[in-house]
Amino acid sequence: MSTRNTISRLVTLGGLCTAVALAATGCGAGGPAPTSGSAASTVNVLVEAGGHAELTGVAEQCKKDAGIDVNFVELPYDGMFNRLSSEFSSGNVSFDVAALDSVWLPSFKDAVQPIDEIFTDEAKKDIFPALVKEANVDGHFIGLPAWTNAEIILYRKDLFEDAKNKADFQAKYGYELAAPTTWKQYQDISEFFTKDGMYGTDVKGAVETEWLAHVLQAGSPMVLDGDNVVIDNAAHKEALDFYVSLTKSAPPGAAQVDWAAAQNLFNQGKTAMTRFWAHAYRQIPKDSPVAGKVGAAAMIGGSAGVAGVPGPWYLSVPKATKNADSAKKFIKCAYDHNGLGIESSLGLASRISAFEKYQDQPGYESFKPLIETLNGEATATRPATAKWQQIVDTVLVPLLQKAVAGGDSATLLAEAKKQIQDLLK
Amino acid sequence: MSSRTAILRNRATAEGDVTSQTALPASDVTAPHGLRKRRGVNREGLEAGRRSTRTILWILLAVAMVLYGFPFLYLLFTSFKTPIDTIAVPPTILPKEWTLENYANALGRSGVLASFINSVQTAIISTVLSLVLAVPAAYGITRYKTPSGRVFIMAALVTRMVPPVAIGIPLASMMSSVGLADTPIALSIAHTTISLPLSIWLMSSFFEAVPRDLEEAATVDGCSRLGALWRVVIPVVSGGIAVTAIFAFLASWNEFLFALLMTAIRSQTTPVVIANFQTQFGLDWGSMTALAAVYSIPVILLTLLLQRKIVAGMTLGAVKG
Repeated sequence: MSTRNTISRLVTLGGLCTAVALAATGCGAGGPAPTSGSAASTVNVLVEAGGHAELTGVAEQCKKDAGIDVNFVELPYDGMFNRLSSEFSSGNVSFDVAALDSVWLPSFKDAVQPIDEIFTDEAKKDIFPALVKEANVDGHFIGLPAWTNAEIILYRKDLFEDAKNKADFQAKYGYELAAPTTWKQYQDISEFFTKDGMYGTDVKGAVETEWLAHVLQAGSPMVLDGDNVVIDNAAHKEALDFYVSLTKSAPPGAAQVDWAAAQNLFNQGKTAMTRFWAHAYRQIPKDSPVAGKVGAAAMIGGSAGVAGVPGPWYLSVPKATKNADSAKKFIKCAYDHNGLGIESSLGLASRISAFEKYQDQPGYESFKPLIETLNGEATATRPATAKWQQIVDTVLVPLLQKAVAGGDSATLLAEAKKQIQDLLK
Repeated sequence: MSSRTAILRNRATAEGDVTSQTALPASDVTAPHGLRKRRGVNREGLEAGRRSTRTILWILLAVAMVLYGFPFLYLLFTSFKTPIDTIAVPPTILPKEWTLENYANALGRSGVLASFINSVQTAIISTVLSLVLAVPAAYGITRYKTPSGRVFIMAALVTRMVPPVAIGIPLASMMSSVGLADTPIALSIAHTTISLPLSIWLMSSFFEAVPRDLEEAATVDGCSRLGALWRVVIPVVSGGIAVTAIFAFLASWNEFLFALLMTAIRSQTTPVVIANFQTQFGLDWGSMTALAAVYSIPVILLTLLLQRKIVAGMTLGAVKG
């Protein structure tokens, strides 16, 4: 019977495939066997996909210096928090070092080991003050900043240097067209370039960090001052009003604009300026209409001066790993060879000396503004609360989206205060 | 031929042959001229109505095709765009300049080939596990019709209603504690929890459609119960098994959450690698779409290969005796 023969053939084929698949699994065809806790000279490093390149050079150097092999486990950002939570709570970890976003440090402070020995006095001087402060949780350093970032101003140098634009701007606003340093200048320039299908800037309603930088510039701690919720104070309102005021010089649909959208708009030549993470300067596609035409400046300042919200990633050692010694050796390598990250596609580091070494080289024009922003007196890291991500997702982003859509800022901030107080109870 | 099969055939002849309803009835030939004319007008109206129905159906089919096909076509076109084209504002459908650069970038990335191997291994093991468990389970439920069988099949349905994230973390811990962490076998078992309930339900409906008389006849001819299942029933539902296998394979092939929670170095599958092109520092649309396009080739080929079986299986599942 032909059908039965076909069935027999299919069953045989299925059986063969399964046997091959199982055999291949046993032989480790899909990758090397996990080694956490067993092979002391191999370290598994869990890292967000975008940060992998940052540590590749360090891993190679660490192999030469300390004989440590490094396996990277790359995960997408959106899934990493869940993965970390699940492994930390189970007590079985598949990695020896984890690269943690700064906002996660307070959440995982009890699951990672102190690495105080790496934070020597010399090291503390060579790392930006805000990061040294953030890495210290409950009196112990629990993460080494592997690389850091901050928002700076990226602007269209070709438009700013155009003689007609300069003359027109001077005539209209009474001062010279140059990279903005204050909120007022940023508003004026944004308004000036909003013409002929182009916009002066973008307004990102779907992300909160930029508004928080303006809050710092206005002279207030962001959202929380110790245990007090201060989101309804004058500085927050001033920063929110400034933020919303830019919507008239920005592409429509601000409520949905996030980092990717803003970066695309700028790289497409649709906006004349953007407040954006410094790494974007080196990531402008070569075939972009703005390639080679972009300048970088420090983040604008308010009444409290220049300020940004740093975006560092920390290397931490889980308490559950049995490979702690090698893990700490890898972290030491990451500190010693921190500058290698600058040669990567992301092009970032965390040590001041590493940034300074490159700041005068062509192609690294964003480093001086980045250093200036990170050294800004008002620059501060996010509040150290385990509820921060929840506050961002459920309160701050919805608040911004309502504000850019025309909501009353004072009312929205008062509502947000109540919501945050409830979350922190 | 069994009586049940004969009944089924008669029913198909009585209900299924739509064209026979349009043939001129014998009474029309002898009907008065006016009546024949009126019936002729009615028939023309019926034909016109049928044409317009067909046109509407074609339009609906075309709309459905566009709705289903456009996202994939857009993905495919994007994979051939230059980096700046992929992020064009407003977006363009066709590439301004065609390039294979994204494919080179995506396939040249470390770990991509290994992830493909892992995906294939995991999907095969999961599919075979699902079939091996679902076929006897569904057969037992449909043939013995016990109360516990009914409870079992309802329980299988309920497990489909549990969000995967609710069982993902406990599953990851369990696999870790039995030493299966970061292995394709662990991921296959996790994927089987998704595909098995669906497989049982599908196979149950296929077994329901097979007349009991066939098995009885096989038993009379000397087959044991299992022999009848293997020699008679399984060949009849082979199309259904193909459909079930495809669904189980696809469920594993495209699964993301369990792969995210349970894999690391040794067993990471391609959906996680595809997601890794979106990072906190940017989105590499070109490489992401290129890898997604390559990843969809095996399932497209598999579906085309088993197309006839799938159609036969679906038809089988749709007929109830």
